[in-house]
Amino acid sequence: MIAPTDFHLSHFQAMTFFALLISIAFGFLSRRRTNDRLKYIIWSLFLFLLIGVGIGWAMYPFSR
Amino acid sequence: MPDDTATEATTAAATIAVAPEHHQRNEVLAFAIGVAGWLVPGLGHALQKMWGRALACFLTVGVLVFLGVAMRGNLFSSEGGDAFGMLGYVADLGTGSFYFAARALETQGSDVAHAEGDYGTRFLAAAGVLNLLAALHAYEAARGRKA
Repeated sequence: MIAPTDFHLSHFQAMTFFALLISIAFGFLSRRRTNDRLKYIIWSLFLFLLIGVGIGWAMYPFSR
Repeated sequence: MPDDTATEATTAAATIAVAPEHHQRNEVLAFAIGVAGWLVPGLGHALQKMWGRALACFLTVGVLVFLGVAMRGNLFSSEGGDAFGMLGYVADLGTGSFYFAARALETQGSDVAHAEGDYGTRFLAAAGVLNLLAALHAYEAARGRKA
């Protein structure tokens, strides 16, 4: 088995990876047809990122 | 005709007697499928020939666990102490056999002093919760619910 080494991701990269993986899982679990799955994954990913960045901006005034 | 009526009545009685047993067997099978799905991510769906879902579950949970360990996330143990530690342990244990694989891979220990380690902890917990959701989905599908 390949041992993972120290892996560095920026905040945005980590959020995007997380959003992508969760969206794929949700898409496959909740939809049957390929087209529906694809639409669900794209829409879910978009909302994850939009809400994530939105919350980031909303917290900016309190960050220091 | 009295004979036909008697046969129908016997068949109906047999159906009533067999149905609960059949139902119980299906419930046990569905539960076993749910447990299999928890132990090995995607196995619950694979046993029902839902190959796409099986592969998606296996890969997403696997990648989340691998990234979580690689980012040096905190993998909770049963000796967590407080309620949050126990909650984290339950979430991490949701990955089934991958929890023990992650333990074996995590040779350097966790490092939550940096953002990556913190993200890694979330990745590991999310993988567990996602796998529990997938196992529940496989269980429901095995019970004949629309999935």
